[in-house]
Amino acid sequence: MADLGAACLWMGLALAAYSFFASVGGQLRGSPALVDSGRKASYVLVVVLLVSTLSLVQSFITRDFSLKYVAEHSNLAMPNIFTWVAFYAGNEGSLLYIAFALSVMAALAIWLAPASTRPTLAWTTAILMLIEVFFLAVMGFMANPFAKLPFPVPDGQGINPLLTHFGMFFHPPALMAGLVGISIPMAFSLGNLIGGKGGDEWIDAGRAWGVGIWALLAAGLLLGSWWAYTILGWGGFWFWDPVENAAFMPWIALTAFVHSIMVQKRRGMFRMWNIVLIDVAFGLALYGMFMNRGGPVPSVHSFGASTLGWVFLLFLAFGVIVPLAIFFWRYERMKSAQSLDSMLSRESAFLVNNLLLLGIAFATLWGTVYPLLSRLFAEQEITVARPFYDQVNGPLMLGLVLLMGIGPLLPWRRANLRSLQRALLMPGMAALATIAVLLVVGIRQPYAVVGFGLCALVTTSIVAEWVRGTVARRRSVGDNPAVGFVRLVLANRPRYGGYVVHLAVVMVALGVVGQSFYGVQRDVALMPGESVTVKEYTLEYVDTTALAFSDRTEFRTTVEVYRDGELLETMHPQRTFHPAFNMASTRAAIRSTPVEDFYVVPSENREDGAVGFRILVNPLVWWMWVAGPVMVFGTVIALWPTRAPARRPVTVASPAPGAAD
Amino acid sequence: MLMCPVCPAQTIDQTEVPLAKQMRAQVRELLASGATREEVLAWFSAPERYGPSVLAEPPRSGFYLIAWIVPGVVVVVALVGGLLTLRAMRGRRVNDGEDPVTSDGDELQPYLAAVDRDLALDTDTERDNG
Repeated sequence: MADLGAACLWMGLALAAYSFFASVGGQLRGSPALVDSGRKASYVLVVVLLVSTLSLVQSFITRDFSLKYVAEHSNLAMPNIFTWVAFYAGNEGSLLYIAFALSVMAALAIWLAPASTRPTLAWTTAILMLIEVFFLAVMGFMANPFAKLPFPVPDGQGINPLLTHFGMFFHPPALMAGLVGISIPMAFSLGNLIGGKGGDEWIDAGRAWGVGIWALLAAGLLLGSWWAYTILGWGGFWFWDPVENAAFMPWIALTAFVHSIMVQKRRGMFRMWNIVLIDVAFGLALYGMFMNRGGPVPSVHSFGASTLGWVFLLFLAFGVIVPLAIFFWRYERMKSAQSLDSMLSRESAFLVNNLLLLGIAFATLWGTVYPLLSRLFAEQEITVARPFYDQVNGPLMLGLVLLMGIGPLLPWRRANLRSLQRALLMPGMAALATIAVLLVVGIRQPYAVVGFGLCALVTTSIVAEWVRGTVARRRSVGDNPAVGFVRLVLANRPRYGGYVVHLAVVMVALGVVGQSFYGVQRDVALMPGESVTVKEYTLEYVDTTALAFSDRTEFRTTVEVYRDGELLETMHPQRTFHPAFNMASTRAAIRSTPVEDFYVVPSENREDGAVGFRILVNPLVWWMWVAGPVMVFGTVIALWPTRAPARRPVTVASPAPGAAD
Repeated sequence: MLMCPVCPAQTIDQTEVPLAKQMRAQVRELLASGATREEVLAWFSAPERYGPSVLAEPPRSGFYLIAWIVPGVVVVVALVGGLLTLRAMRGRRVNDGEDPVTSDGDELQPYLAAVDRDLALDTDTERDNG
């Protein structure tokens, strides 16, 4: 089976290369048959890579330790379910996963491509297949998942214990697929440009894929945070680690893109800007992959010592320079079809949103590369970690939340200052009321006060929009409120889906602000029977049982948590020692409520029988994890295809921008 | 915050390696002896101990000030530049650059007018919705 998988890998490389050359050649020579064969080769690629993938899965299931990759990432004691995780636990397997995921997305994108992109689809196919060629060639020549050991070993090394968590079933694959998936909207924009078009032909495909990939990355990032929160045992969920940043920056750039693409869709403006944005997101995604595989900055997430660094650095350089060159080559063909009517309009709100987002991406990038600059120019090692990012990005994020409250109230083209004031009246009052209440109850931290106030502003302005829309429908069409509300949402899905996502962002903001400014942390060592009080909670340490397994020892701890003398819950945090890795993993016990989390994790088991506990009370963190599904739900609304819109005659004669929605 | 010198990108608060525990104990000792937060940080980042790379954020002086200033400057410049560009776009009437042959004729005018009407309609419905 493993040989079949290896053979399929080479076949995949040949197919992707063929598809690339057939698409380019067919387009240049004007041969539709050749283009068609290139397109079909990209479909066959999916099948071939699927076989390759299944073959590696089978090697894991049968624990074929003659394969180096299987021997390094699994062992006999590993439950089969973790094959899912072990598959991408190392460089080679994760590359195969990425190549397969990209082939599926590319085939779907090519198959579902809207008619407007058809004339340049061969170029889009060629770009995607070129990227496939890269990944398959790296696997074939440098990191083959099917490489064999000189002689099989009796048992493998086992899976990294940090990965045996539910979050790991989705977080890495979502992020890897999301990062490589950015190449799809990028390929549509670039293919369109190479084909000599400079207009809006690509934006429907670009927006749909951009929004979908955006949600995938958002879900991946949130699940990663959740994983860190429950398993890393220090009680936080985001640390601005270089690799976290590497996934965060492209997502931020993509956030800018999915906003600004609406301006082009509705108004035919920002044509160049959107292309720049998607290229930036793509470049940052490539940078992320480079950081992940042998990048120069240490991180807890990277794939360890890898010799692939320089290949990915070349890929990064290529992926940044080529789109840029094509952009300038076609510069003359891209002109906005509309002009701006007023500086006070939704268009300019979107621009400010874009610039703030890019500001965050830039500051994050700057923080990641600054240590290298410092090493080069000042010959001094310096660290840029969490406090820097918190302080630099914090204000920018607050600015974004503010904009989230105001921007949607601005109409396209031209806003009337008076009507804006009217629309802002209620949200503004809600914000001020919230701030007043917070000050009265003693919450004085300026960031927290402003942050919560802005959350109230956004929430109120969204709810007010919904209420106003529903009321208007009731008055004009006579819908009852429930039906009217649903119809309202259906009538403008991108807009109302976006509002749902905005609400999810508010939830995340609540969690972040709550935990950052009002989280309480205590580290204590307790003997059985001793107790400690943190805020209004009292924790009593009952006992610990040690359970020995063939590959690990689990220390299961029992603690009882009281509030006001009443037993709230008996909790079982856990600490596991893995001799093979000489490391301990922890599993926090968390009592999560919308108000606050009570979080306890054993940090060490001392020889005298005492257990070191880290205890945290984290307000509002619950909302962060609820935000995930809400975000996905909003995205589904925004992306749900409308029934084929009745095309207005005007769009037939000219590609009238803005009218085609 | 202090970084753990032997762990990749983690603070001493985050990890359980012996060095981090030792450093945490030192921090407690220093604080107990009346040292301020700044003094503790200075103590650890002294060149004869761990050097400035033990600090989780760059110092705010000399060369390192660049780390703090650049992001702010870039954001401000981008905002000003972006809004000025946007203003320059105001009132500029551009025909659709799609196809120079069809974009200049007068026969397009009715369509453009239709587009404008459409857009006005759109913005109106939007305002009704909103």
